[in-house]
Amino acid sequence: MSTNPPPGQRPVPRYQRDQSQPQTPPPGTPVPQGPPPPARPQGPPPGARPQGPPPRQNPQPGPRPPQPVRAPQLDEPPTQPIPRVRATPPPPQPPRRPARLIEDDQPTRHIPRVVDEETTEVEKPPEDVIAAAAAAAAAAVADEEREELPAKPPEEQPKETGRVVVRSIGEVLITAGLVVLLFVFYEVYVTDWLSAGKQSDATVALDDRWKGQEDPQRKTQFQVGDGEGFAKIRIPKFGADYVYTVLEGTTDKILEVGPGHYKGTAFPGQTGNFAVAGHRVGKGAPFNDIDLLDACDAIVVETSDSWFVYRMMPKSNEVKDWDKTKAANQKCQRVGTLRTNAADGGAYGKTVGQEIVLPSQSGVIAPVPNRPDAQLPSGQQASLITLTTCHPRFSARQRLIVHGVLTHQYKKDPAKPGELPPEMQES
Amino acid sequence: MYGWIWRHLPGPLPVRIFEALLLISAVVALLLFVVFPWIEPRLPFNQVTTG
Repeated sequence: MSTNPPPGQRPVPRYQRDQSQPQTPPPGTPVPQGPPPPARPQGPPPGARPQGPPPRQNPQPGPRPPQPVRAPQLDEPPTQPIPRVRATPPPPQPPRRPARLIEDDQPTRHIPRVVDEETTEVEKPPEDVIAAAAAAAAAAVADEEREELPAKPPEEQPKETGRVVVRSIGEVLITAGLVVLLFVFYEVYVTDWLSAGKQSDATVALDDRWKGQEDPQRKTQFQVGDGEGFAKIRIPKFGADYVYTVLEGTTDKILEVGPGHYKGTAFPGQTGNFAVAGHRVGKGAPFNDIDLLDACDAIVVETSDSWFVYRMMPKSNEVKDWDKTKAANQKCQRVGTLRTNAADGGAYGKTVGQEIVLPSQSGVIAPVPNRPDAQLPSGQQASLITLTTCHPRFSARQRLIVHGVLTHQYKKDPAKPGELPPEMQES
Repeated sequence: MYGWIWRHLPGPLPVRIFEALLLISAVVALLLFVVFPWIEPRLPFNQVTTG
């Protein structure tokens, strides 16, 4: 080290300094040190750089004195063995040299040959590989164009079957997604169209029956078979055209036609609970908007000979100040909370205008809602209406319940068919 | 799957398109009027009664 710096080679890469190190220790003779420094800067730096670093290692492991002498020769073109090394590689491909040259330098003579072989070997394959790849690509393109023509190279088949499998899986998944979308469309729209036809059929049948009811045979007002219409329900708030024929029973098939009356519950106008179920999504969705009903909104039920006007009872948050609300609203005059002065509000203490319950809570359609155990004589029972539908929309998780109480009752006047009760003017 | 069907449809292009539309509408009708009405009561989307 100390010897090198003076010549002003400091800026020159380390390899020159390093080379000097190996030289000094092995021979131990100070003489060689003198000449080498001047010789190194001569010319090799640019071309020999890659060779530079490796040689350091070589001389060190090799204890022999002659090697250090060769090392300087490495840098110099004239020496015989090394020039050959360089001469041979150039023909193949210049860019690959630097990577391998590192290896070249270690065993001065032997490895160069190896390198030559490698390079030549490596060179040839690329050409072959490229040619083969091009041929394969051309073949693949041709195959794609022909799609499934039988002529295929055997190597291509596994790839082709894999692609077919993946593509088929994708097609199946996309198809499944489309089917699900179609099902939503069916639920929301198609069932409406189908139900509209059935509902109008049921309405026509009911009108016919009402017209022919003059014959005294059918004295009993509500003698209806399953799936038979017996009343019409109207909600003025939803418009004058909101009218559905209510059928007896609550099976799926009946509810497709229109709102269904829970068998065993009271009929319109009777004391007890006139309970009706209706769809909220699809199938005509008669009860789609009953969550929008407010206290005192009218629910009008028409039977063969009467009009019954029910009004929604106060919601749970309105019960407390109901007297004030009642006084302020003309419609609420005859709507009461049905509560007594008892601590729990009496038999109807759990009856409010709107509630959301679990599907299993059948108590909401009991004669006294939510109090199936209440043994109230029918003379003391109020006349209620209860509407049930699913909640939230598109879910069967809960049920939305609306309770109303009977406020007015009109006899139909045979002389004035088609006359509507005054409550129908509300909207 | 769809590629296979398309290749096996007979006739020139306009006829093929017509046949493809016919096939699609047949499948849709089958779904709407047979499969969905059958499967619907088995799904818990639209149950409105209590108890």
